[in-house]
Amino acid sequence: MSTASDEKSKKDEPLLSPKLLAQLERMELVSRKIFRGRMKGERRSKRKGQSVEFADFRNYVAGDDLRFIDWNMYARLDKLFLKLFLEEEDLHFYALIDPSMSMNFGTPTKFRYACQLAGALGYIGLCRADRVKIELLDGAKKSSTPVLRGRSSLHRMIDYLESLEPGMNVTLTEAVKSFSLRNTGKGILILITDLMDKSGYEHALRYLTARNLDIYLIHVLSQEEIDPDIQGDLKLIDCEDADVAEISVSQRLIDRYRQTLAAFIEQAREFSSRRGIVYMMTSTERPVDRLVSRYLRQRGLVR
Amino acid sequence: MNWISALGPVGWTILLLVPPLILMLYFLKLRRTLLEVPSTYLWTRTIEDLHVNSIWQRLRNSLLLILQLLLALLLIVSCLRPGCDGEELAGDRFIFLIDNSASMSATDIGEDQSKSRLQEAKKQIENLIRRMKKGDAGMLISFSDRADVQQSYTTNQSLLLRKLREIKQTQRASDMKEALVAASGLANPGRTSDKESAIDIQVADAKAAKLYIFSDGGVPEVPSFSLGEYLTPEFHPIGSIDPPNNVGITAFSINDEMETENQIQAFARLQNSSDESRFVDVDLYIDGVLHDALGGVEVPKNDSKSLSYNLTGVVENLEKALPVKLEIKTPDVYAQDNVAYAVLNPPRLADVLVVREYNQFLEFALGTGLCQKLAAVEFQPPSYLDSPEYNEAADLGIYDLIIYDQCAPQKMPLCNTVFIGKLPPGDRWKAGDKQGPTPIIDTDRSHPIMYSVSLNNVTVIEAAPLTGPSGWTSLVDSTVGSILAIGPRGGFQDLVFGFGIIEFDESGDPVVNTDWPFELSFPLFVQSFLKGLGGGAKFAKSQAVRPGDLKTIKPQLPYPTVTVTSPSNTKNKLRPRSDNTFVYANTENSGIYEVQEPETNSIDQLFAVNLMDRQESNLRVRDSLDIGFEKVSGTVSDYKPVRKEYWPWLVGLALVILLFEWYVYNRRVFI
Repeated sequence: MSTASDEKSKKDEPLLSPKLLAQLERMELVSRKIFRGRMKGERRSKRKGQSVEFADFRNYVAGDDLRFIDWNMYARLDKLFLKLFLEEEDLHFYALIDPSMSMNFGTPTKFRYACQLAGALGYIGLCRADRVKIELLDGAKKSSTPVLRGRSSLHRMIDYLESLEPGMNVTLTEAVKSFSLRNTGKGILILITDLMDKSGYEHALRYLTARNLDIYLIHVLSQEEIDPDIQGDLKLIDCEDADVAEISVSQRLIDRYRQTLAAFIEQAREFSSRRGIVYMMTSTERPVDRLVSRYLRQRGLVR
Repeated sequence: MNWISALGPVGWTILLLVPPLILMLYFLKLRRTLLEVPSTYLWTRTIEDLHVNSIWQRLRNSLLLILQLLLALLLIVSCLRPGCDGEELAGDRFIFLIDNSASMSATDIGEDQSKSRLQEAKKQIENLIRRMKKGDAGMLISFSDRADVQQSYTTNQSLLLRKLREIKQTQRASDMKEALVAASGLANPGRTSDKESAIDIQVADAKAAKLYIFSDGGVPEVPSFSLGEYLTPEFHPIGSIDPPNNVGITAFSINDEMETENQIQAFARLQNSSDESRFVDVDLYIDGVLHDALGGVEVPKNDSKSLSYNLTGVVENLEKALPVKLEIKTPDVYAQDNVAYAVLNPPRLADVLVVREYNQFLEFALGTGLCQKLAAVEFQPPSYLDSPEYNEAADLGIYDLIIYDQCAPQKMPLCNTVFIGKLPPGDRWKAGDKQGPTPIIDTDRSHPIMYSVSLNNVTVIEAAPLTGPSGWTSLVDSTVGSILAIGPRGGFQDLVFGFGIIEFDESGDPVVNTDWPFELSFPLFVQSFLKGLGGGAKFAKSQAVRPGDLKTIKPQLPYPTVTVTSPSNTKNKLRPRSDNTFVYANTENSGIYEVQEPETNSIDQLFAVNLMDRQESNLRVRDSLDIGFEKVSGTVSDYKPVRKEYWPWLVGLALVILLFEWYVYNRRVFI
């Protein structure tokens, strides 16, 4: 099941291929909520401000910037009007990657898949001058990226992603709690995890929902987990806590496993949708570019 | 069912340990392969659902364990050698004689009387064949009035069974002799002996065989037959013990030999072979139309009843042949004898040519009323023999009969002939010198022509002794030898007188040579050869044809071909023989057969085929058969007790279970 040996060969490949990058450049992250940005960005804001896009007129009151007075209007009506433009702002984009040992399985590994996805979405954000932050859910043991902005930050982001290694056995709840305390920015948050945490994922999601973020939960599973191809009498060892499960594989057992998995996925989906979290399950066999260009576009994360 | 232990105490101990061992192995912890997985989270939940760790739950779900235990159980039972007492035929060579004559079609077998005797016989033979040991040889012969070797000696039981099933019911009479000859030919090897050298050679080794005869016993006795020392007969009577309900037609004919002329009657005889008197309804159909119906005709038990119908009015002005059917409407177990057929064919006059110088006796005899109804007679002088008309008619066979009185043609015509006082041309017939007087010593009354002819007071003045071609028969012998003889010529017959009736002296005056024409026997003799050689009939009283017989057909005109249509509507095109007659062999079924002429396909004549056999209609089952000097009583078969083993079947079943187990294990259908 483990594909650690394959991982090396996979690592030789670039995290984001040039073709994918070209594809991503045309995309844009979309938030279902409109947040106040901190800096001027390329995102249209509710606030009026400086841009080329006309929004409205209003009467001049003392103290207004004289530069925005519409002098043509004044000539015609002999009254002072201010011309208002739409403000364009930036957006916070957080990508949280689950670094648990269980993410180190699959072809490619779920962890690498998560990094690719985070990189791809981060690059979209960079291209649109959003504030991109990618963080490993390791309970703040390893520093996260600084806030990246602008296309020029691509290399820093890629370098950071390439440097990440799985294997931190921190529960999801603790890691998310730590993240929430440290980061207060509002925007889009994407959580990439396999949800295989025996203490449960519910608390972690509750912490996030409290933050008023636009949350996307990408549930990554390897093909071996979705459709296990195992035979015989086996002693299964959990790679995280060395827990043991003895099974004798039969068609009935496999069928039962599939039912359990389906129930697990359905449970996560229902929990998420009740809390306004967009849930999406993906297999590592589904290429990242297709995931982004088709499935996430359908879900409204990108356009 | 009984059991024989195939193992000793130690063997049993080991074998009985096998099932507990399987159970133990099943519960022992397996050596499991280690496998690291991302998380046992889902697996644990799955197993929690699946494994409620109750032992019975586990056992219930383990198909493999059940299969393994079943396998062990089957092997244990096999070692007990279960079996039962069976039977097999004693002996190693068997001949099965099966009667497929008409009476075997009687359906008196079974509760509802729905099964025929032939089916029952087949079933019994099938049982015997199935009890033959491996390597036993069997032969199958069916017989009606002829024998068919369906299968000669074979050890292939399935072949014997197949041939047995192929045996068909016939409508023929029974005669077992031919079948017995065929059977004994193989059991009692032939010997060739040379009378002169007194050498007797046995041509093959004697092979003893058991002869099973399956018949209802309605077969004629076979007096002059010896089964020999190697053939052991066993007779199995087929049929119900109580004489079954059957009234059959054993005779049906149409006759005109009545005291009053022109009166024609149909006669029928009904026979009841049961022990109770029966009442039957009888219908007579002419040309498919009900002519007469008799209800409640009583046929006394074990006796017969005659019926007669007056058909005089029907025959007058008869222009085409009419089929006549007599049917017993009351149903019984044997259907074939409930219907009989006859035919009313229109009168056919024989064409007769008489070539004579002067013979008033002959002219007078041929001029009687009866002869005129039988034949159209043409009289010609001897000079007519040289005319082209005669030659053409003689070559084409237009005449049925030519009578040459004191003259002879250049070559023989294509018809029957009578030569009076002259020999036929050629050297086939020879005559000695005329001698006289020639008192008559003997006449051959058994010959149809001489049947009613008495020559007691007849004197012949001069006669020459005759010698005919091979196959000739002397009809009248005198002190000088044969003076009236008949001999074959191809398909024709020549009747030759060694004396003249009227001869001519040196001056050419007629001289009476015999007083026979003054006797009553002379016109009777003329009539009888006119019937026998001329082939004419007042109305075509067709001869009785039984199923399987050959039928000789003489059409009205010499057709190049005729077509015969059987009751089952099969058509056969026939070619004539040299005497312009046709021979039809396919008379397997009773009924009316149509003879059609080739050009217009109009019906030339009809003929009827009937079995009408008292022996077949008598359905009483005989309990013994007379074969030669031996009386063979009905018996049940001689079986040898054998033990029938079931263990090979059990081991076979165990192998099947093993295969299934292998499949289950490999395909992981269910554990």
